[in-house]
Amino acid sequence: MHRLRNQLTISTVALVLGFLVVVQLRVQQSSPGLAALSAQNLTVLVANLNTRNDQLRTEVARLERELAGLTGAQSRGETSVDQIRQDLARLRAWSGLEPVVGPGVTITISGAIEGAGVEDLINELHNAGAEAIAVEDVRVVPGAVVAGPGSALSIENTPLGDPFEVRAIGSPETLTGSLTRIGGVIAQLAATYPLAELTVTPVERLELPATERDLVPRNGRPRL
Amino acid sequence: MTTLAAWVRSIPSWQVTLGVALLALGFLIAAQLASEGPRVRYTTQERSPLVAAAVALQARQETLKDQVLELRRQIQEAETRGQGSAALVRELNDRLHDARIAGGLLALQGTGIVFQLEDSVQPVTAGGNEADYLVTARDVRTLVEELWLAGAEAVSVNGERIAQSTAIIDIGGSVLVNSAFIAPPYQVSAIGPEDLYEQVSASQGFVAFVVARADAFGIRLSFLESDAVDVPAYAGTIAFRYGRVIPTPSPVASPAAPAP
Repeated sequence: MHRLRNQLTISTVALVLGFLVVVQLRVQQSSPGLAALSAQNLTVLVANLNTRNDQLRTEVARLERELAGLTGAQSRGETSVDQIRQDLARLRAWSGLEPVVGPGVTITISGAIEGAGVEDLINELHNAGAEAIAVEDVRVVPGAVVAGPGSALSIENTPLGDPFEVRAIGSPETLTGSLTRIGGVIAQLAATYPLAELTVTPVERLELPATERDLVPRNGRPRL
Repeated sequence: MTTLAAWVRSIPSWQVTLGVALLALGFLIAAQLASEGPRVRYTTQERSPLVAAAVALQARQETLKDQVLELRRQIQEAETRGQGSAALVRELNDRLHDARIAGGLLALQGTGIVFQLEDSVQPVTAGGNEADYLVTARDVRTLVEELWLAGAEAVSVNGERIAQSTAIIDIGGSVLVNSAFIAPPYQVSAIGPEDLYEQVSASQGFVAFVVARADAFGIRLSFLESDAVDVPAYAGTIAFRYGRVIPTPSPVASPAAPAP
C-alpha cells in the first residue's frame, strides 16, 4: 500500500512536469508573442488577421483570373499584350510610378509638428486602408520620409511650408472616421504637439502625382 | 563522514526520484517566469479559443501569401511568353520587371544590415511605466525611417516587406506589420549601400532614438552587416478599390503589332 502511494506520487509529479514542458514548448514555438496579449488585444488581432486573409483571398482570386486569362489567350493563339499592359498599368499605379485619381481625404497641418508626427499620421492612413498618399506634391513611396524638426520639415528634399497638406485616396468615410475617432491619431497628435492644428476634410476627387524617386535598387538584385 | 554516507544510503530510492522530479519542476517554473521579462502573460480561460483562432488564422495567412507569390510567379512566366510583336512584348516585360521591383513584389538580396530590437531586461524603476521597457511599433517605425533616410533601398521587418501601403501598429505588447502578427525580437533587414551603417549611425535622428530608448530604458539594439541581406517579396494585395490610374504617355501605348 505504501509502495503504491509512492508510485502514484511520482507518477503525478511526472505527469505535471511533462504537461508543463509540452505546454511551454507549444506556446513558445507556435505563437511566441500571443501569450503577452490580453483577450481584448487577441480579439483585435483576430479581426486584423481575418481582414488581411479576406484581402489575400481576393488577391488570390484576382491573380487566378489574370493567369487564366493569359494562358487562355495564349492557348487560343491570341495576343496577350493588352492584358500585360493592364497589369503593367495597375502595378505602376500601385507602386507610385503613375499618377492616380480618386476620392479620399485632405489633412491640412499647421503649426509646430515634427516629422515623426507626420509619419504617425501617414502610418494611420495606411492602417485605415489608404491606397495612395502624397505630402504636398510628393507621392509617398518606400523611402520617402517626412523628417526634420517642426520649423524645417521636408520630404524628398522638398521643404514643407506652414500649412501643408497630406492627401490620401481611399474611402473618405473610413479614413475620416479612423483619423478622428476618440483616442485616434489626430487626438494623439493634438496632445503631443499642442501648437499644431490638423484638419481632416473628406474630398470627392483627389489627383496624386507619380513619384520622382528612382525605385529600382542599385545594391539589391532579385533573388530567384 | 561515515555517518553522512550511511544516512544518504538510507534514503529510499522513491524519495530520490521524487526529489529530482520536483527539482526539475521548480527549475522549469522558475525558467518560465524568468524568461517573461517585463511582458505580462495572460492565462485566463476565455483566451484559449482566441489564441487557437489567431494561430489558425496566422497559418492560413502564410498559406495565402505563398499562393499569392506562386501565382505572381506563374503570371510573370506567362507574360514572358506573351504573344504579339516580340519587341513589344519584350519591352512590356522589361517595364513589368522594373515595376515589380519598384513595388517590392520581388525578393531582393544585396549588401546591407540587419538590426535587432529587443525588450529591455532592466528592472522597471519605481514609478516607471513598464511599457517604456518594451519595443513598440513606434520604435520599429523609427528604425525603418532612419534606414530609408540613410539610403536603404528595400526594408523588411521579421519577413514582412515594407511596401507603399505598409502600416506598422501596436497590438498589446506586440506589433502588426502588413496586418501580420510579429513577435519580438524584431529584426529589421535593409539592403542599401555599403556604408549604410555609417550613414544611419551618423544620423541625428538615430542617435536621438538610441539615447531615448536604449540608453534611457535599456531597449536592446544590435546589428549585423552582411553582403547578402535577404528582403522578401511583398505578398499582399495590390488592387485599387477607390483609386484609378491616370496613365502617362509612354512609347508602349501604341497599338499592338499583329502576331508574327
